[in-house]
Amino acid sequence: MARNESVPPEPALTAEQVYRDYAPRVYNLARRMLGNNADAEDVTQDVLLQVVRKLGTFRGESAFSTWLHRVTVNAALAHRRKRAGHREYSMQDNLDQVMAANHAPGPVRHWTVGPEQQVLDRETQELIENAIAKLPEIYRDVYVLADVEGLPNAEIGEMLGLSLAAVKSRLHRARMLMRDELAPHFEEVSA
Amino acid sequence: MMTCRELIQLLIDFVSGELPPEHQALVQQHLQTCPPCVAYLQTYQHTIRLARQLPCQPLPPDLDRRLRAALAEIKAMPAPPAVT
Repeated sequence: MARNESVPPEPALTAEQVYRDYAPRVYNLARRMLGNNADAEDVTQDVLLQVVRKLGTFRGESAFSTWLHRVTVNAALAHRRKRAGHREYSMQDNLDQVMAANHAPGPVRHWTVGPEQQVLDRETQELIENAIAKLPEIYRDVYVLADVEGLPNAEIGEMLGLSLAAVKSRLHRARMLMRDELAPHFEEVSA
Repeated sequence: MMTCRELIQLLIDFVSGELPPEHQALVQQHLQTCPPCVAYLQTYQHTIRLARQLPCQPLPPDLDRRLRAALAEIKAMPAPPAVT
C-alpha cells in the first residue's frame, strides 16, 4: 500500500496520557507474569518512571505500545532473576520435555461456558487468574503475552529470546495446563 | 488415520488456521469420528477465549498515590537533552 504523505505525524504522548492509559496495563502484565502483587508494584513503578523520562523520544501510540510491552517484560524478567536466580528455568526445561512426551487425552467432557464477549463474573476471573499463577514460569510468560495480551507469537519470541517454534510449543502446553486446571469448574454435569 | 495424541499436537495450528491443508483434512476427518477430541477441541478454544476476556484491573490505591507523587517530582525536574 502506498504511504500517504499528507498524514500528519502523531502528536507526542504526555505523561498524564501515559499514566492514565498505560499504568494499569503495565501493572496487570507484571502481576500476571510475576504472580505477586508487591513485585508487580515495584516493576510498575520502575517501568513508568523510566518511560516518562524517555517520553520525548516517542511519536505515536503504536510504536509506544510495542516498546512499553518490551520494557515491562524485561523489567519483570529482571525482577524475577534478582529474586530467584536461574535454577528454576533449567528445572522447567526438563518439565517441558516430560510433558511433550506424556500428555495424552484422558476422559473429556464439554464445558458450559457463556458466550464470547460476555463480562466474566468476579469468581470466574479469580479462577482464571489463579490458574495462570499456577503455571510454571516458562509457560506463564508466553501464555500471558499471547492469550491475555494478544501479542503475535513472533513478537513474543523476540521479547523472550525464543524461536517461533519454542513460543508455539510453550503456548500449546500452557493452554493444555490451563484447560486441565479449569476443566473441573466448567465441565457439564452428567445426567 | 490420525491418533488422538497426534491431533492434540496439531491443535495450536488448527485453531489459528495455520495448519497445511493436508493436515487440516486429517484433523477434520478424525474429529468426525472421535467425540472426546471434539470435546477437547471445544474446551481448548474456551480456554483461549476466557483468557482474552480477562479485564485489566485498576491500580491498587496505594500504588496509584505513590506513582502520582513520583511523576509529579519528575515533572518538576528540567527536561533531559533530546536524543538524536
